[in-house]
Amino acid sequence: MVSPAIALAFLPLVVTLIIRYRYYFVLFYRAFLVRVWQDCATGLSREERAFQYVLTNATPGDPDSILEAFDQWCSKVEFISNIGPKKGKILDRLLMEQSPMTVLELGAHCGYSAVRMARCLPLGARLYSVEMDQRNATIAEKVIRLAGFDDDTVELIVSPSDEVIPRLRSDYGLETVDFVFMDHWKKCYLPDLQLLEGSGLLGKGSMILADNVLFPGAPNFLRYVRKSGLYEWRIHQATLEYIRGIRDGMAELVYQGIK
Amino acid sequence: MPRGNLITSESDIAITVDNAGDEDEVSSCYEEHEWGKNRVKGREKEREKKKRGNARKKGASRAGRGDEELEERAERGEKGRRRRKRDNHDGKGRERDEEEQAEEKSGRAAKNKKNLKNERTRKMEQEERDTEEGDAKRKKKNESAKREEKKEDGGKRAVKEKANAVKTKKHKKKVETSSEQESSEEEDVEEEEEEEKEKELRPESLSPEELEKLKEAVDEKKKLIQTLRGKPWPMKKKLSTLRESQEFLEKYEGALGKGKGRRLYAYKVMMTKKWMKFQRDFENFKTACIPWEMKIKEIESHFGSSVASYFIFLRWMYGINMILFGLTFGLVMVPEALMGRPYGSMPRKTVPRADEASAMDFAVLWDFGGYAQYSVLFYGYYNNQRAIGWLKFRMPLSYFLVGVGTVAYSYMVVIRTMARNANESGGGDDNSFNFSWKMFTSWDYLIGNPETADNKFASITTSFKEAILEEQESRKDDNIHLTRFLRVLANFLVMCCLAGSGYLIYFVVRRSQKFALDGLDNHSWWERNEVNMVMSLLGMFCPMLFDVISTLENYHPRIALQWQLGRIFALFLGNLYTFIIALMDEINLKRKEEEIVKFNMTVWEASLYNGTVPENSTAPPVTIHPADVPRGPCWETMVGQEFVRLIISDTMTTYITLLIGDFLRAVLVRFLNYCWCWDLEAGFPSYSEFDVSGNVLGLIFNQGMIWMGAFYAPCLPALNVLRLHVSMYLQCWAVMCCNVPQERVFKASGSNNFYMAMLLVILFLSTLPAIYTIVTIPPSFDCGPFSGKSRMFDVIQETLESDFPAWFSKVFSYASNPGLVLPFLLLMVLAIYYLQSTSKSFKEANVELKKKLQMQNEENKKKSKRAALKAAMDLEEARKAMTQAAEQQSNNNASPQAQKDGGENRSSSQRLHHGKNGRNATPLLTDQEGQLPATRAPVPRTYHHGNHGAPGYLPGIPRQTEARVHRAPSLQRH
Repeated sequence: MVSPAIALAFLPLVVTLIIRYRYYFVLFYRAFLVRVWQDCATGLSREERAFQYVLTNATPGDPDSILEAFDQWCSKVEFISNIGPKKGKILDRLLMEQSPMTVLELGAHCGYSAVRMARCLPLGARLYSVEMDQRNATIAEKVIRLAGFDDDTVELIVSPSDEVIPRLRSDYGLETVDFVFMDHWKKCYLPDLQLLEGSGLLGKGSMILADNVLFPGAPNFLRYVRKSGLYEWRIHQATLEYIRGIRDGMAELVYQGIK
Repeated sequence: MPRGNLITSESDIAITVDNAGDEDEVSSCYEEHEWGKNRVKGREKEREKKKRGNARKKGASRAGRGDEELEERAERGEKGRRRRKRDNHDGKGRERDEEEQAEEKSGRAAKNKKNLKNERTRKMEQEERDTEEGDAKRKKKNESAKREEKKEDGGKRAVKEKANAVKTKKHKKKVETSSEQESSEEEDVEEEEEEEKEKELRPESLSPEELEKLKEAVDEKKKLIQTLRGKPWPMKKKLSTLRESQEFLEKYEGALGKGKGRRLYAYKVMMTKKWMKFQRDFENFKTACIPWEMKIKEIESHFGSSVASYFIFLRWMYGINMILFGLTFGLVMVPEALMGRPYGSMPRKTVPRADEASAMDFAVLWDFGGYAQYSVLFYGYYNNQRAIGWLKFRMPLSYFLVGVGTVAYSYMVVIRTMARNANESGGGDDNSFNFSWKMFTSWDYLIGNPETADNKFASITTSFKEAILEEQESRKDDNIHLTRFLRVLANFLVMCCLAGSGYLIYFVVRRSQKFALDGLDNHSWWERNEVNMVMSLLGMFCPMLFDVISTLENYHPRIALQWQLGRIFALFLGNLYTFIIALMDEINLKRKEEEIVKFNMTVWEASLYNGTVPENSTAPPVTIHPADVPRGPCWETMVGQEFVRLIISDTMTTYITLLIGDFLRAVLVRFLNYCWCWDLEAGFPSYSEFDVSGNVLGLIFNQGMIWMGAFYAPCLPALNVLRLHVSMYLQCWAVMCCNVPQERVFKASGSNNFYMAMLLVILFLSTLPAIYTIVTIPPSFDCGPFSGKSRMFDVIQETLESDFPAWFSKVFSYASNPGLVLPFLLLMVLAIYYLQSTSKSFKEANVELKKKLQMQNEENKKKSKRAALKAAMDLEEARKAMTQAAEQQSNNNASPQAQKDGGENRSSSQRLHHGKNGRNATPLLTDQEGQLPATRAPVPRTYHHGNHGAPGYLPGIPRQTEARVHRAPSLQRH
């Protein structure tokens, strides 16, 4: 039987761990415990709850208002890993600078980033948004339409990204993609990037923006980018959406082609 | 040939004239001398010698300048010795041939253009030396050895010629002439030389003059190789120059010397090379002999100086412990083991009957009970016999003196190291030109190993990071009130934590006393080892908590480290002193027990004797086995055991933490990262950083425990040496394999003395209880070297009385008289005060001097700036003059003048350049001259009329020296 004094001696360790990793505990609580509880309590999925909130609190046809409602819900009520307002600003700036005509989004989730990007696009540009999950896709569709973007501006493709990318050229008539935004499964970053390279959709100067490369993190992706030499790359340091204190980053790659 | 024709700088001419003048002087002197002595004989010889001297000198001077023509001309103009001129001419032509060849071979024509002042000076020196040599030679020859030398010369040449197996008839003829009648007519010599000119130039077929020249060139190359490192050339150039010079040396070195001499010479050269190689290897060997040097360097390159400072500290500690170990082992343990009474001969050296069954159990031994307790490892085993063995070794005295000596030695070493460190850090001002220093002086040119170079690169990069971070920190300012509040809060939290840990230890110690009263066997292992466990755990986890709390404070990393150190220090100190207080209680308990045992003992003895023998009989005493004799508790051994256990548990905790906290974590992070949903390496658990402060303090407190317990357990230094040795390897390995460099790298330059200061405090604090126990508590009556005495230090008095002559003890008693001791102490205090005040005044003087130097430096800068402005104006004028001169194009004296001005300007502008760049007081002339506007024709071209196309100069000898020689005075003018 371990004596209580020895157990007490472990107290500083516990306190240290709690203090040091407090943000992770908060994240765990908000993203997992609350979600499970709400799922059981309401019978709706998280995205549906978010959509309900947006529907009641936002002005239809106004993308900014919709984004604001989302931010409100994610920071106050529950947690959804959207790109968030801070990193969203970086995204906006890059889009403004690039003004791409063809944009590919991998991982629409519930349409937040699609709306965010669509409102920054130049006239006549087109956004292809890929979402794997059917339920999420329907919500994303609703959100996008609610924000007032029609089929010509934003096209939602419901399919896994690794199936869509090889078909983009044949089925959707894309020649090159000017801007790619990755925010789906972190494990798929690397294979999808390689698929994009292989399909020849990337032209010189095409930009790829990958979210959450530090947390949860895509180490293989970063390692590949560093080594391949095909890209000019940098990492925008930021914090995780809606939670301060967890460091995260977005990787910005500019395709240089084979020299 | 009129001099005015030449477009040369005045300097050339000046030098040439000087040189010529020198030569003439020398030769004329010589001539007079010679003629005074013997006119007839000396004539041809003189001529030849003169010629040789000339040629040699010229070789040397031209080596730098390449203007032999000019010299020649000057000579001719002055004296008009046609004959000799022709000789020279021929010689020169030959020389030029040779030079060209060599030049082609080495291909360093362009490279030698850029050269340095030092080379220039060297050359000048060489010239001087040459002339001196020439003088000496002449004198020698004058005196006696004319004939012989001549013969030798001839013989040598003959040998040389013979070595050339395939030669023309003509050559043979010449050989004959030269060997047989060297001192004949000069026509002969001339002819011979002409012939030699035709010959292909191989080292074997060179005349003595050429050999001389070649030798000089070789020397030149050697010097170049030696000084190459200090030259401000690009690395590429250095490398190529080095390679070329080495090739040249290899090619021509062996050619020097003749016949037998050559072999000797070659041998000599080989031996020199071998010797140098040996020296270098020996240096390497010496560095390799510094223990763990390479490991520490490697760590330093990866983790920065702060982590390395920990390892250096560890190594230093290891050294001290080695000496402590040597003292205790050599003077206490070994004599007792060899010469003392063997095990089992006395009660104190025997395991008691009750414990005998379990005395060899591992659990008992691990707790240092059983046989381990009754061995030389602990105080109680030692006998109070005054002298042991045939050496009459004074064991108790030795024991006492070693105990005192270890402490005294530790004090001495720590204080000496502190003083030395203080000296080192006091010197430079680190604030100015920080980055320049780093930029230009960081690289270690001794590195030959690519891996080491990588490491050095990494370490320089780290040091840059450190410096930049420091700069940033020094410029930051935040909300001061918030920061203050947070700092107070942090300190409050830390205080709470300290109080909590103190209370916990106090509680545990009290509980353990209760357990001890109950009897330890009734409790579990956990409860028996509670004190040690709790202390180790608190010592491990509280620093982590402090670390987390200290992020609140937002200090500069180095200051944060010191705070952290201070806090951990307080924690450890509190723990240690609680422990000591508990020990004191236990000692008191033991002493009470001892009283009882003593009383029982007399009763037992009485009963023993009473029961067996009738009273007042003289029958032999009953023999009882020593294991059966009742004995006292021996508190000294108990204290020693406690300390040994503490050390062991501390060591185990350290190692286990290392293995679990660092290694296991690293393994998990590394390999689970393949199949985990977030990035383990960059994110949540990550790899651990090396905790400098915790480790240093662990080390220091460990040492404190050693100092405290070494008196009662002589095995402690040995244990500590073992521990340090293992932890050196283990930690080196762990750091390199499982830790990542700190995110906030910083250098630990200032903290070395901080460690030392802490060590000193700990030393003091740890000797305090030890001395207290030695002085106040009487030793146990039946164990240890001081048993039977009322105090431990009585052994000194005893020795004084019985081992020293009577007068000595008298003197000692007088000396220890308070009337003498007090004035002595007073004197010492006064001396300390005096020394301190003088050192303070010296320090002030130093600061003053430094200020003065700085002022002067600034003044110089201003001056040079002014001079540069003036020089710029001069430059304009000079340009105008130049254009004019170019128009006139004839032999007016304006153009050299203008050029001189130009040269001056150039040099001054360079000077300015350097003044801006760094703080080198001596202006270095670099290769920029060619790019500066003023230098339209920096190198006065020699005229090659009738000779060969390229300007001739010996390979390895830069040809630009004249300009530099000229420049030196002009620089000094500024």
